[in-house]
Amino acid sequence: MARSRELSSQARTLLADLARSGQDWRHGYELARSTGLRSGTLYPLLIRLEAQGYLQAEWQAPAGSGRPPRHAYRLTAAGLALARAEQDLHRGQIVAKRGEALS
Amino acid sequence: MSASFSRRLARGIGRLLLLAYPARDFSWARAMQHEIDQLDNDGAALVFALGCLWGGCRQTASTGLNWFAEGMKMKNGLWSWLLVPRNAGLAGALAATCLGISYLLAAGAPPLYVVVNAAAFLLGAVALSGLRGIAVRAERHAGPIVLALGSCLLLTSLAGASVAGASRWIWIGPLSVQVSLVLLPAMIVAYARHGDALGHAGIVAAAAALALQPDRAMAGVLAMSMAALAFARPGRSAAAAVVVTLAAFAITLVRPDTLPAVPYVDRILFSAFEVHVFAGLAVLLGSALLLAPAAIGWGLDPARRQVYLAFAATWLGCVLAAALGNYPTPVVGYGGSAILGYLLSISIFPADAGAMAGSGDRAATADSDSVGISPRTRLVTHPAG
Repeated sequence: MARSRELSSQARTLLADLARSGQDWRHGYELARSTGLRSGTLYPLLIRLEAQGYLQAEWQAPAGSGRPPRHAYRLTAAGLALARAEQDLHRGQIVAKRGEALS
Repeated sequence: MSASFSRRLARGIGRLLLLAYPARDFSWARAMQHEIDQLDNDGAALVFALGCLWGGCRQTASTGLNWFAEGMKMKNGLWSWLLVPRNAGLAGALAATCLGISYLLAAGAPPLYVVVNAAAFLLGAVALSGLRGIAVRAERHAGPIVLALGSCLLLTSLAGASVAGASRWIWIGPLSVQVSLVLLPAMIVAYARHGDALGHAGIVAAAAALALQPDRAMAGVLAMSMAALAFARPGRSAAAAVVVTLAAFAITLVRPDTLPAVPYVDRILFSAFEVHVFAGLAVLLGSALLLAPAAIGWGLDPARRQVYLAFAATWLGCVLAAALGNYPTPVVGYGGSAILGYLLSISIFPADAGAMAGSGDRAATADSDSVGISPRTRLVTHPAG
């Protein structure tokens, strides 16, 4: 579960987006739209987040007849903590960069 | 009302996802398939499905390569050695040369042809070991290297030996050498490692040279590799390189190319099967082996994938040109130029690429890639610093 290195910008975007929804369940296409990630990038990220315990996934009953069940996602407590930590780290880096630019 | 073509295609891709993703991710593939079915817009469903399929192919390829790497690591030192792209290239070139020689023998080619190919391999292998330092310096000196090689191509087109209106060769003793086949692949790999202003100038010189010669096959190869590079390393200079090389290729298309097919050199991808089915298979397998180092580099050296992509585009382009027209079939056909060019091009590969395949560090490098490629054990995506 431990991360050894920096997250990609895509992973950060996804984490931040999922963190904004808190405990609400989100769907794949909706996440792709809101993050701007392509599905081929989004799903491998979701798969890894889930494998590392940062993401919770569940099958939801079909919304209407003739529709298949749907996979939905939200961050676990560990995922929310990671998203917050990443946000803080990112903010810190921006402040540091601004400081360097001004000095 | 029947479903539109896009919808049917999206559904078909949805079913394909179950095969495209590794078995452990089956439920995820199912999730994607169902998500595609949820989308009301047919076009959006198709785009979404195609993205999922691309992601699945990358996941599976990455998993396969990592399993392969892990398995090989455990076996013995030879496999670790082979997992270095440059070494894989040397082994692939040896195998392809041998397969080519077996075809030449089966086809009844003059014994001298066999000797020339074998000698070219030995010469290239010696040069490869002598040029080890280039791999280290290529990153810093790529610009001058590319410009120098581009200038050599230009000189050849202006002062080289001419046959049926094409000036592609120089004579070394009794042997004719096609300079573009020897130098262009290495030039492209060097440019892929680092493209600066001198490198851009070198590419322009090469494009002009190929248009002047004219050399339709190598101009196509140059354009194809620049397109691959533009895909891997987008930017204005990459786009400009594509435009310039495409223009050169277009010029070669309108200029007459009347050279007839040369026995044992051109069109052997097809004619080898007329000799014997095994001769045909040897030629095909030898051609496929030329791409092996690119596949290994792509999997094990993700930080420099553009180099391997350009390399693959170059040699795939050469093979395609040989399949489509009267152009030399690289390495497996008679001719030392392609063998030398192949070995020269792998000499420019990053020296440390795959070097950690036998150590624990390799995994750390292998997964330092953009999303969707690295193994699930980490969420890391690019090397720090």
